[in-house]
Amino acid sequence: MPISFRSLSYIYNKDMPYAHKALDDINLDIKEGIITAIIGETGSGKSTLVEHLNALLLPDEGSLQILDYNIVAGQKQRFLKPLRKDVGLVFQFSEYQLFEETVIKDVAFGPLNFGYSIDEAKRRAAEALKLVNISEDLFEASPLELSGGQKRRVAIAGIIACDPKIIVLDEPTAGLDPHGAKEMIALFVSLNKEMNKTIIIVSHDNEMVYNYCEETVVLSHGKIKYHGPTFDLFCDRQKLAEYDLLEPQIVTFRNALIENGFKLSKQARTLDVIAKEIAEQVKR
Amino acid sequence: MSLIEIKNVDYSYNDTRKAVDGITFDIEKGSYVTIIGHNGSGKSTLAKLITGLLPVKNGSILIDGLEVNEQNISAIRKRLGIVFQNPDNQFIGSTVKDDIAFGLENKQVESADMEGIIGEYAEKVGLTEYLDYEPQNLSGGQKQRVAIAGILAMKPDIIIFDEATSMLDPKGKKEIKKLMYDLAGDDTITIISITHDIEEVLQSDDCIVLNKGKLFMHDKPQKVFADAEKLRKIDLDVPFVELVREVFAKNKIKLKAHDLEGMVAELCRYRSDH
Repeated sequence: MPISFRSLSYIYNKDMPYAHKALDDINLDIKEGIITAIIGETGSGKSTLVEHLNALLLPDEGSLQILDYNIVAGQKQRFLKPLRKDVGLVFQFSEYQLFEETVIKDVAFGPLNFGYSIDEAKRRAAEALKLVNISEDLFEASPLELSGGQKRRVAIAGIIACDPKIIVLDEPTAGLDPHGAKEMIALFVSLNKEMNKTIIIVSHDNEMVYNYCEETVVLSHGKIKYHGPTFDLFCDRQKLAEYDLLEPQIVTFRNALIENGFKLSKQARTLDVIAKEIAEQVKR
Repeated sequence: MSLIEIKNVDYSYNDTRKAVDGITFDIEKGSYVTIIGHNGSGKSTLAKLITGLLPVKNGSILIDGLEVNEQNISAIRKRLGIVFQNPDNQFIGSTVKDDIAFGLENKQVESADMEGIIGEYAEKVGLTEYLDYEPQNLSGGQKQRVAIAGILAMKPDIIIFDEATSMLDPKGKKEIKKLMYDLAGDDTITIISITHDIEEVLQSDDCIVLNKGKLFMHDKPQKVFADAEKLRKIDLDVPFVELVREVFAKNKIKLKAHDLEGMVAELCRYRSDH
């Protein structure tokens, strides 16, 4: 297991009258090589959880194993830099964090910071920009001249250029128009499938989670309520009601068909397969 | 006469490209109109022209017969409310009560009447119990509801929602959409909603599709979505029911219903026919 939380707790404003336990005794193993979603209502602890993954926050109690790094509450950490190279974190509204004069310089900043030569850093930056579909004629442009969706992709390129093993994205599609959101989803699916990156996504978009994330973690009030296959979660109406989650439309449709006597296999998760299986039942 | 008449309106931020390019359409009183189009299609520019935030240089916009220009803008603004995208940017008061009161104070409503009016509109948006709450203790959806209560208290004829749900979580989105649908039932209020939410569009009376500054379609939502390919070509989403219709058509099953429930019923009928 590359990522394991053991009895981890995190408290904001510790020892203050308004201390708040944002993560409460978290035990969690996230699998390598897949896309895992972290969902839960606003304030449930999602962002706090992912900020532990590259040690932006350190646990107050318990421990955390990420790849070969072991972070234990109360112990001094010596390996923050290599850890942050291996775990790339893309913040919410990351487009606001671009700061260099040109797109290429912004993306090269990470690799430079991790000790690559200028030429190597630029080569990596160019490669990462190509991957996120930013054309070469924009390399020398100011980040400010780009559209919101482009800026966000440049911010992600900055992470990809450092060649992390794990990429964590905090609400990567929030505020993008449907077209921008689709491009973003295609990007992290290809990072997972083609470059074998472990992807962790914080999201409110249940439709996206259902369609693209193999496993899902549900957080509520700093505790883990569910961790397992995404399909099993969204097909369980009792769980959806208990965790106050909206049912994806395709699941609503699937359930309605089953309730009306149609037979659908467990493989019928996409519209294509559902339609095929139904077609056989109406033709007979 | 239509409540809003937009005639041959052009607008460009610089000389190279028109952000709004020769747009003409009318909006009827009491209707609920959605405006869609991908980023850069001219949606927001058009909204800014209607609300007088940008000057109309070419063409004309009439609201209830009154031309939108510098001279008329304060009279027009009194009849028009805008709900913006970011819930944090429009909370002015220190509590919910203060925030709703802000517009009323500007309008010099008697303080004896104030309490009653605030209570009425807080109830309308379901925030009666939150009157003394401060903004940091409210969710995004609740903040947007406060903004809407403040606008309703001014008794506007027109409310413009400028991507008012796009920054909210699913719960907040649901809350605001429900409130919008309730308001749409009120014939005295005309609603214009700029949105990316295709499911919302299905609930509106009319849909205006913009592409590259031009009017691409103006029709009932069902008709707009009937040609999925056409919408995909301009980078727009297709509602889930239309995806279902498409995929079943590929499997030689023709579905005619307008919602999922109807489609399931249709499939049941097909099954018993065979």
